[in-house]
Amino acid sequence: MTASKVLLASYILVAIAAPLIAPQNPYDPLQIFGWEASSPPGTMGSGGYLYLLGTDGLGRDIVSTILYGLRISLVVAIVSSAIAALIGLTAGVSAAYFGKWVDATIMRLVDLQLSLPTILIALIAIVTLGPGIDRIILALVIVQWATYARIARGVALSEVKKPYMDAARLMRLPTSRVIFRHLLPNSIAPAITLIPIEVGHAVALEATLSFLGLGVPIDKPSLGSAVANGFQYLMTGQYWISLFPGLALFGLIACINLVGEDVRRNLDPRSQTR
Amino acid sequence: MTMERANTAKRLPFFPYPAQSPLLRVDKLSLRYVSRTGPTAILSDVSFELGRGEILGVIGESGAGKSTVGNAILGLLAPEFEQTSGTIAFDGKVLDSMSVGECEALRGKRISAIFQDHTASLDPLMSIGAQVEETCLVLDPSLSRGAARARAIDLLARVGIPEPERRYRSYPHQFSGGQRQRIVIAIALAGSPDIIIADEPTSALDATVQKQVLELLRKLVDETGVSVILVTHDMGVVSEITDRVLVMRKGHVVEADDTAAILDHPRHDYTKSLLAAVPRLRIPAKGESGEGVAPSSGETATVERPLLVAEAISKEFMPQGFGLGSVLGIGQKRPGFGLRDVGIRLPRGTITGIVGESGSGKTTFGRILAGLDTAHEGRIVIGGHSFEAATSGRRSGLLGRVQMIFQDPSVSLNPRLTIAETLEESIRFGARVGSGDRSATEAAGAMMDRLGLARSLLARHPHQLSGGQKQRVCIARALLANPEIIVADEPTSALDVSVQAEIVRLLKETISEKGMTMVFISHDLAIVQAMCSAVYIFKNGRVEDFGPSDFIFSRSDNPYTRTLIAARPERFTC
Repeated sequence: MTASKVLLASYILVAIAAPLIAPQNPYDPLQIFGWEASSPPGTMGSGGYLYLLGTDGLGRDIVSTILYGLRISLVVAIVSSAIAALIGLTAGVSAAYFGKWVDATIMRLVDLQLSLPTILIALIAIVTLGPGIDRIILALVIVQWATYARIARGVALSEVKKPYMDAARLMRLPTSRVIFRHLLPNSIAPAITLIPIEVGHAVALEATLSFLGLGVPIDKPSLGSAVANGFQYLMTGQYWISLFPGLALFGLIACINLVGEDVRRNLDPRSQTR
Repeated sequence: MTMERANTAKRLPFFPYPAQSPLLRVDKLSLRYVSRTGPTAILSDVSFELGRGEILGVIGESGAGKSTVGNAILGLLAPEFEQTSGTIAFDGKVLDSMSVGECEALRGKRISAIFQDHTASLDPLMSIGAQVEETCLVLDPSLSRGAARARAIDLLARVGIPEPERRYRSYPHQFSGGQRQRIVIAIALAGSPDIIIADEPTSALDATVQKQVLELLRKLVDETGVSVILVTHDMGVVSEITDRVLVMRKGHVVEADDTAAILDHPRHDYTKSLLAAVPRLRIPAKGESGEGVAPSSGETATVERPLLVAEAISKEFMPQGFGLGSVLGIGQKRPGFGLRDVGIRLPRGTITGIVGESGSGKTTFGRILAGLDTAHEGRIVIGGHSFEAATSGRRSGLLGRVQMIFQDPSVSLNPRLTIAETLEESIRFGARVGSGDRSATEAAGAMMDRLGLARSLLARHPHQLSGGQKQRVCIARALLANPEIIVADEPTSALDVSVQAEIVRLLKETISEKGMTMVFISHDLAIVQAMCSAVYIFKNGRVEDFGPSDFIFSRSDNPYTRTLIAARPERFTC
């Protein structure tokens, strides 16, 4: 457990410090030497630093690509999960509070969302919206909000019936106050525990989209597109272009999930004594 | 062994059953609960004996450890419990309170149990006959199926299920609560046990049904010679059927004696206070002085223009729709009880009681008055303003004119807000005076003082308060909104008896101080009598009987009213 926490902490730390510690800025064409493309690990580069993990097909240092890609993967995953949680929780709680057609509309949207494979929805969204980091975030939000909405609604439905909600209504509180001060804080605990796990999903999904070439722009590779960049070189034995970003991605998702599971267990209201 | 003898000898004067060895002997049992924060003592040196054919009442308030005693005998304690000393001896054999496996044969067959929640005790997907039959087969595998079935039918007949052959294939939901509890008793009897441990067996039942189930238990004890340990918080239950009583408090046995002795001459102060806290029903004799005054005072009150008049309120069961709405899941289906043509009048400055058993529609009616629920028909007039009961309270403006105090204080306060935040919200939005400034804080503080709550509680969250404190906060919240009318829906039934009396007193005092008008909904006639000047009796969604309090309790000829009064434990009626 602690090992995964240390690993996750160091992932986040290097992601933040990437511009300081990366030997090369892979987004700056002037720092890339095209004639050193596909150099194997351990080659000495013209920039005066060692290509520790080699270079990719465009001559970018794999270490630097991983560090910068990590930033993009993490930002996309965290931002999209946060927005999705915000939208999903509000939608779910509102559905439970208003009932009737509001509930029906929101929950049928949720059903629609959950009835289609996530990857398909993300693909459709990206194809319609076009590429770009903001679009990827939007696509991930579209994919993720429904889960939060469904869970929050379930809890809120039982909370709405509790007398303290009746008491709030009897005080003639404004509806927004009833929802955001009384209902929402008491309904989100189980859904909040989902966030760490969903961040893990988001990283994986973003990597998948990028691997398919539908994600982030080609000149700003995330971990997923870094893996994809090396795909065509695997046959010729230039394994390092895909392998090392892949390993980094694997480690990231694994430790997010492990830590997320841990956090979920600690946040679970049933494991706490009230 | 010699130790045990010595103990028995020492306790001889207490228990008049040593002639034959007792069926069950609990000797200096101490248990503690080990949690992350450390061990907490649950039971300390609990000793008692149970003879054959005897009903032993174990009474105490919540947290007294009374259920733990029962569970220890049944071997049903959670693994966090630790037995630190003492023994439980059944028929001369020592049981280990912590292990089920060791004495499995004993427990279940010779010691069985009845729990409070009759719904959760039965499998909803299995016919009741099959459930009784299954228990018979498990406890006596030598029985043939036919014999097991015959035995099950016999058991069901014994507990008073009419036509057991015909109803053998019926499912639990097709029975009433009282009948379900009878079926649970039949299952408990299946192994012809020596002891039945009944943990609050009638607390979930209506008074009239409770009386019938208690009578059944007594009859079974007399017929079969089974012994019963009856765990309860209700002095009324104890007074009706037990032979002896064990009074418990905070894990200690406070007092143990014959029921009559406990009721007539309680020795310990705690027992006295428990007895004193039980609300008593006064039945004034016909023609008693003062009684003649009551109706006329009631009349003057009604001659004066009433503050609230509810006319012809009707609400039907939510129909099961077959239209598009039900397919799409539009529309909320809450279990509602029908109301038919209900009307009441509330004179200003009085407390009016609404009495009825579960399902009588009294709660629904209270919610309609407050504007929380809508009726299908009817009109509510408050101080000259008329509201359609069929329109939602928010739209008609009814919502907010009437405040409510709810039954269970543990779910009536927002767990995420401090007491101060809850009360200030009531002042700001309910009463619409002062916004978060000093005056609101001061008003909340003054109300805390009035209700006997320390101001330091204002900074706490609800879970840090006791049940009685929480209910006082709920009262404060309702009063601070400064309504003309307060509807209190069973405000004391989730509280311990000793706290109940205090809450009733506070409610009555503050309501009259503020000149407010209150509707007091309850199933407990004695509390209603203590609180209310007029009473409406609800049955199956109709007003069955109404009148000034004295009239209802002494002279009403309505048979249902008389049944309700007769269902009260005699002991606490005078």
